[in-house]
Amino acid sequence: MIELDTLSVTFAAGSALRDISLKIAPGDRLGIVGESGSGKSLLASCLMGMAPDAATLSGTLTIDGVDMSDADEETWRPLRARRVAMIFQEPMSALNPLRRVGDTVAEPLRLHFGLSRDEAAKRVAELFAEVDLPNPERRARMFPHELSGGQRQRVLIALALACDPALLIADEPTTALDANVALQVTDLLVDLSEKRGMALVLISHDLASVARSTERVAVMYGGDIVERGGTDDVLHAPQHPYTQGLLAARPDPQAALRDEQGKRKRLPTIPGNVPPLSGLAQGCRFAGRCALERPDCATARPVPHGPRMLLCPVVEGAA
Amino acid sequence: MTLLRAEGLTRHYPLPRTRVLGPRPRLTAIEDASFTISAGETLGVVGESGSGKSTLARLVMAFEKPDAGSVAFDGKDLHSLSRPDLRRLRPEFQMIFQDPYGSLDPRRRVGWSLGEPLRAMGTDEGRKIADSLVQVGLHAEDATKFPHEFSGGQRQRIAIARAIITRPQLLVADEAVSALDVSVRAQILNLLMDLQEELGLAMLFISHDMAVVAALCDTLMVLKSGNVLEQGNAAAILNAPQHEYTQSLLTAAGTP
Ligand SMILES: Nc1ncnc2c1ncn2[C@@H]1O[C@H](COP(=O)(O)OP(=O)(O)OP(=O)(O)O)[C@@H](O)[C@H]1O
Ligand code: SF4
Ligand SMILES: [Mg+2]
Repeated sequence: MIELDTLSVTFAAGSALRDISLKIAPGDRLGIVGESGSGKSLLASCLMGMAPDAATLSGTLTIDGVDMSDADEETWRPLRARRVAMIFQEPMSALNPLRRVGDTVAEPLRLHFGLSRDEAAKRVAELFAEVDLPNPERRARMFPHELSGGQRQRVLIALALACDPALLIADEPTTALDANVALQVTDLLVDLSEKRGMALVLISHDLASVARSTERVAVMYGGDIVERGGTDDVLHAPQHPYTQGLLAARPDPQAALRDEQGKRKRLPTIPGNVPPLSGLAQGCRFAGRCALERPDCATARPVPHGPRMLLCPVVEGAA
Repeated sequence: MTLLRAEGLTRHYPLPRTRVLGPRPRLTAIEDASFTISAGETLGVVGESGSGKSTLARLVMAFEKPDAGSVAFDGKDLHSLSRPDLRRLRPEFQMIFQDPYGSLDPRRRVGWSLGEPLRAMGTDEGRKIADSLVQVGLHAEDATKFPHEFSGGQRQRIAIARAIITRPQLLVADEAVSALDVSVRAQILNLLMDLQEELGLAMLFISHDMAVVAALCDTLMVLKSGNVLEQGNAAAILNAPQHEYTQSLLTAAGTP
């Protein structure tokens, strides 16, 4: 069980995460969505104990009841991989181009579990089979450039699984992949989470894949979680003005594409752009772009409320 | 009026020999693709990576020559034009690249990069640079900033400003919105629709996202392994895809 309590991260330019509270239980599948720069990756690096040096942190992070807030690198190292593992957007950059992929995956097995060369090779083949890589033994002898993007991402998933992590964080794991391949990789992550009882945090700007593969979702804007609840509830009946704007901005394949004059219909948009960290309002981060904004929104810090967590005093909470 | 006519476009790339004396195998990047685009009209091209989308874009932009087939722009066969003639015609058809970081020089101010296609035409810049920035929803003052001072969505707008600054008749967009946030993507798609109505732009819009294609395109071409699986009216294909592959692309773009 991993628990964040009012975690905040501040840089010189301003505060990048504000009072983030989250519980991740074994087997949970949580999606994190939100605008670029909203703090999704930063949150993930905090969960891995890898916040950037330039950051000032406050609040607490506990893993299996142990307070990790002030833990040093020595304390983190054994926990990483075994408790929390992570996969990233660009599989190529995470693999050594000069090493056979099987050797890359064998390394932590030999290091953390003291497996012999042969034992490790056998385990690698099992892991490759588990992530649906065809011909596991042959794949293990290949170099990264000999694999497709989807296969490379599967290798990284196998690497992440090597130490049986309790939580897998996937940060935009499919952005670099084709739609079809992306779908297969996300389905694989869900499968693995179910079979292994492993918790999954899926960070993605692809709302469809979050809808497909997670049970709960947290929506972030400007370093806040602005709405959190069941994935179906939040994505089908968004309550926070930002979540509503985000969902409305997706093209709807079912909607009429032209108006009465035969002109193409414009997509609904959220006016303006995300301001830089230093330009974010002290109160509600969404102030300045919100249709429901009230005079005090920009200065009064909203308090989370409702069974579905909502960070906006103006909208009523709902389940 | 037909602005672009491609006929039988074919391009193979040689692969390394598998046997010393054997024939050299070839990769079919695109095979026998024919299509037309009229002024004010958008042709969508969909398919997974490696299906030939970007090869098609390079052929249409005359960045490389086809092994067979032709591209006629405004009645002129692009691949048989002399170099100087092609250079003179280039301002009329421009491309927005997938990666705006790669197409903007990080050490140059944005205004300098925007002026590049104009300098190639030998025309006066200042006013046009400011206008093009305003047209994509940025500010005239942004010309003095460097690329890293902008967000990803803003850089993509700059890439679009650069592509439209010469007032082209045709815009080729290769995955121009794929890396963007949903909300920024909607702003950019609306901008493209505005430009199309204002300038009568023709567009070749390459994407793997069927929902985006549906919002923007009049006609559609589905590519798989270099072959055209189906093409025609976009709405007709999206409503009743003839191929399982097209259906799978639609499923992958499914809404939650
Ligand atoms: N090392 C750092 N120094 C200063 N600011 C940083 C640093 N790392 C992140 N930030 C800032 O923290 C904020 C959150 O960044 P983060 O990378 O978490 O966003 P994100 O939600 O993952 O965005 P994207 O969808 O683009 O990946 C941003 O404003 C970013 O500029
Ligand atoms: S607090 Fe105000 S500005 Fe923020 S989302 Fe609610 S209504 Fe909009
Ligand atoms: Mg990120």
